[in-house]
Amino acid sequence: AHRRHRHREREQEQEQGREQGSGSARPQPPEPSLLRFLVCPLSKRPLRYEEATHELINEELGIAYPIIDGIPNMVPEAARMTRKKPPAEGSEQP
Amino acid sequence: RALAAGPEMHFGFQTVTEAERREKIYQVFESVAKKYDVMNDSMTLGIHRVWKDILMHKMNPSPGTLLLDVAGGTGDIAFRFINYVRSVREHQLQRKLKHHQNLSWQEIFESYQKDKSNSLGDSQVVVCDINREMLKVGKQKAQHLGYSEGLSWVLGNAEELPFDDDKFDVYTIAFGIRNVTRIDLALQEAYRVLKPGGRFLCLEFSHVSNPLLSRLYDLYSFQVIPVLGEVIAGDWKSYQYLVESIRRFPPQEELKAMIEDAGFFKVDYENLNFGIVAIHSGFKL
Repeated sequence: AHRRHRHREREQEQEQGREQGSGSARPQPPEPSLLRFLVCPLSKRPLRYEEATHELINEELGIAYPIIDGIPNMVPEAARMTRKKPPAEGSEQP
Repeated sequence: RALAAGPEMHFGFQTVTEAERREKIYQVFESVAKKYDVMNDSMTLGIHRVWKDILMHKMNPSPGTLLLDVAGGTGDIAFRFINYVRSVREHQLQRKLKHHQNLSWQEIFESYQKDKSNSLGDSQVVVCDINREMLKVGKQKAQHLGYSEGLSWVLGNAEELPFDDDKFDVYTIAFGIRNVTRIDLALQEAYRVLKPGGRFLCLEFSHVSNPLLSRLYDLYSFQVIPVLGEVIAGDWKSYQYLVESIRRFPPQEELKAMIEDAGFFKVDYENLNFGIVAIHSGFKL
């Protein structure tokens, strides 16, 4: 049997849920804990979160994985090439 | 052979190319996603819940565990994991409080507050699935049920995981490995992303050796399940695929050998319901 003591937490989470539920209205950055594990599926190298385009960028290979509805799409088919973009945007990332 | 688009594989009982198989399986789950949970309950008469509970008890995660649940789509394993570690954590805190006999109420209160904000004890689960529709359903369920802390969702391929090496304590794949096209690659990836000492757990339909039971099971599978699929989900074909894919999937010993080939040690399996379902387990040393 599972005990559930989520009464207080539930209200907070439902509020968060309502915000996230609107999908593309206000994209949320991926959680830092997730970024710790996430790598490019092809090269297994680290990624950089680009806030402006809401993507995870592999600088080396010049590809960007989209984050759709708060879920990173980490499959090569979903990625796009970044080579043609000006490099200046990357510099302000934490 | 020169004209074929690739090696021939099975999609249920049909023979297809690798690319076709991936596409067809994607479509099956895209189609069933919204009715997935309802169908699981109907087909297994709710017993799938017990199988998943058993998996969780076998895992017996302690707070602080990092779990990667692959093909975790609608979140059944992830939610159970969160409930489990939360429960263990609460027991831990209660035991801790019992020992604080000589502290003032203020000190006890503060200690309790500090631990309360970490109700999962830093446990985390990442749900990875290749199908966007299944993940969407999972995420919505999480919101409705109030799960958010310690839970992340990633769209990824079990054969090519977007995770770094040696990261997770446990890797689970429940009713998912059957739908992977290259099981060997998925097992290799599972090995890669697990920490040394990490555990691989696979819950999957398997083979019933008892002849009488096997016949009854076949009857139920081929006569009842696709009909349920049509009536409940308006989708006979997807459930036909489901039933066929179970028959095509390697039996217990063969899967055990495949898991060992990927490098896992102490590989064994436990049959549930006479082999209708089996839990395979292995360790990365």
